[in-house]
Amino acid sequence: MLTTTHNWEWHCTIKFMMYKGDTMKYKNFSKIQLILIHTLVLLHLFLINTAAWAKKPVIVTTYQYIASITEQITGNSATVIALAPPQFDPHYIVPKPSYIAKLRKADLLIINGAQLEIGWLPQLIRQANNPAIITGTKGFLDLSNFVKKIDVPTAISRAMGDVHPEGNPHFYLDPHNIPVLAKAIYERLCTIVPKNYNLYSKNYTTFIEKFNAKLTVWDTQMTKVKGKSAIEYHKNYDYLLIRYSIHLAGTIEPVPGIPPTSKHIAKLEKTIYTVSFILQNVYHPYDAVQYLSQKYSIPVIVLPHDVGATSDSNDIFSLFDSIVGRITQ
Amino acid sequence: MKQFMQIVYMLFFISLLLQKGYPQTMADWQTSDPFSQAKFVPDIAAIVDVTYVQRSLDDVTHYEIPGFKDAHSKPSNHENHEDELNQNNGFNLNYVEISLYSQVDPFFDMFAVLHASTEGAEIEEAYFTTQQLPFGFKIKGGKFLSSIGRLNDKHAHDWDFADLPLVYKAFFGSQLNEIGIQLNWIVPLPFYMLIGAEALRGENETSFGTNGFTVENITTIDDANKPNVYTAFVKSSFDIGNYTVLAGVSGIYGTSRIDHGIGNDTNVAGDHGFYGKTYMAIGDITIRYDFNSYQYIYLQTEYIYRNQDGDLYSYDGSINSKSNFDAKQSGLYTQVVARLNQLWRIGLRYDLLAQNDVSTNHDLTNNLPRYSSMIEYNPSEFSRFRLQYNYDKSLYSESGTNKPNHEIIVQANITIGAHGAHSF
Repeated sequence: MLTTTHNWEWHCTIKFMMYKGDTMKYKNFSKIQLILIHTLVLLHLFLINTAAWAKKPVIVTTYQYIASITEQITGNSATVIALAPPQFDPHYIVPKPSYIAKLRKADLLIINGAQLEIGWLPQLIRQANNPAIITGTKGFLDLSNFVKKIDVPTAISRAMGDVHPEGNPHFYLDPHNIPVLAKAIYERLCTIVPKNYNLYSKNYTTFIEKFNAKLTVWDTQMTKVKGKSAIEYHKNYDYLLIRYSIHLAGTIEPVPGIPPTSKHIAKLEKTIYTVSFILQNVYHPYDAVQYLSQKYSIPVIVLPHDVGATSDSNDIFSLFDSIVGRITQ
Repeated sequence: MKQFMQIVYMLFFISLLLQKGYPQTMADWQTSDPFSQAKFVPDIAAIVDVTYVQRSLDDVTHYEIPGFKDAHSKPSNHENHEDELNQNNGFNLNYVEISLYSQVDPFFDMFAVLHASTEGAEIEEAYFTTQQLPFGFKIKGGKFLSSIGRLNDKHAHDWDFADLPLVYKAFFGSQLNEIGIQLNWIVPLPFYMLIGAEALRGENETSFGTNGFTVENITTIDDANKPNVYTAFVKSSFDIGNYTVLAGVSGIYGTSRIDHGIGNDTNVAGDHGFYGKTYMAIGDITIRYDFNSYQYIYLQTEYIYRNQDGDLYSYDGSINSKSNFDAKQSGLYTQVVARLNQLWRIGLRYDLLAQNDVSTNHDLTNNLPRYSSMIEYNPSEFSRFRLQYNYDKSLYSESGTNKPNHEIIVQANITIGAHGAHSF
């Protein structure tokens, strides 16, 4: 037990009391020892605090679009790392061991959820040995909890392919969902790094104002394609199509995650005369789409599915600039 | 007639109970079961592995890999309970794997993997891991596949071929699967580095073993102190563009008590046993290139070295004798696997038992190769069909002649239920 008094003389004889049997023994420190102890304690406190102050919080996101929204709110005050490379199929990301090193230092992990990451992320989280980001903790944010999902199956079977029991997970491609997701991210950031509350609030307000202004622009542009009919490769763009009243005539995949069969393409050809364009993502093979496009001279529109998937989608704003631009061109 | 009437009465009473309609009455009061634990059911999956095998040698277990594996016809005190995969010509039900996984509480999660076959069931793995240890540490305890090497902790359905590389069969029988404890640490570096160590029971019958035995007129060897085997490993990985490199180094140390008949009450010529120390080292590297989401190619190679140093006891038909035994043996495999598209994968594998320096027998062959190729059709992540061809030059008859073995394996591997994603 270490006791101190405010009296300097006493201060010099801080007593280190040790119980030894029934008797209490005192140890008097010399002045030099005292200075040493004080220095060590101060140094220790200093190191702990500066480590906490100097270290930027590390926020790891599964996809690039989440990182882009997060960066809008944190500015330079945090290190934001996205794991999945944007040119790859978001369902089948290679679980590289380098991601374990990134997850190990994360203070917050933000995922898309609705089982989009189920094929690659759970094992990485377990391997990262980081208690801060375990499912259900403060450091784990699942964005799918904040939006209403479509295509939630009432009955489920793997005969339906890679069907997601929680509904279609590509909800972030409806631009109107972005402010909702941004709010969830902003609120969680404030919980994780409360001392940055003012900064985050300022950035969040600016972002929402800017994004809402863009939404009006995109909404106006998209009225051009209202009521048209489209085919997509995978059910990536359903939220976008529903938002802007574009009819989905069919998908190139017979069921999600299963590559097209000639039988299925033949079936698709029966409805193709109503179709105005075919939406293709960057990661699926182009051959089936090219075949249909050439045979029926329907334009193929390659759309980014994530920030960075195409060269003109560098952040969350240009992602939708690119999508809206490409559909309405 | 009396029995018949009893059944009729029983049915009558059951029908009375049903007419009372207890469940319906319950539903009027309560719409949910307050004690239902349905949401806490762990992830359960079942994996079935069936093969059709055609090979040029009738029964491969009657052949030996000189210096590495005895022919099964020799008596052994250590019955190998594990069914060898693809053992019989014709159809084989290799295993039905039942896996269970769940979070236990905020502090632990737990895995259990049971392997059932027509012979019975055994526990392949059953372990817990910690979730809350600070500074990047984790403890794993129970029965598990040791994390040494590259392939050792991978389950059979995660292999790229229908069978294990020769080095694994030669040094571990199958894989190093032991009861024990592991501590691992993710080193806080900008790239991936894992350091780990294990203390294991060490019952592996091929390289270690814990059961003592008596060599008549010479000595009695006591059972081993447990843990009997210790391992340590370092793994590291980095990316360059679409290239991923993963490399590892592992070391294993333990004592060996291998009784191939010498401890039997009545010996026959050729019975032998080994008691001594075993040191092993493993180096592995994987280089993978991802062209896109559905096409990749990777090269994986693993080298295993074993040094066994101790006493060899043998029975020559009339008398037991003891001699110093020092064996330095090693081998490797190299495989290249490519995924052509969402449906098809192809692979080539070269196996070699390269070094066979045994102090008691200088005539052993140094080069024992095997060549394998496979093509795989994956309708989805949950079903896989594989055709594999092996040309195995490692097998010898008891008279000492090399018996090349041509082997064709057609494999179906099917998964149902909730099965977690695999690691890299």
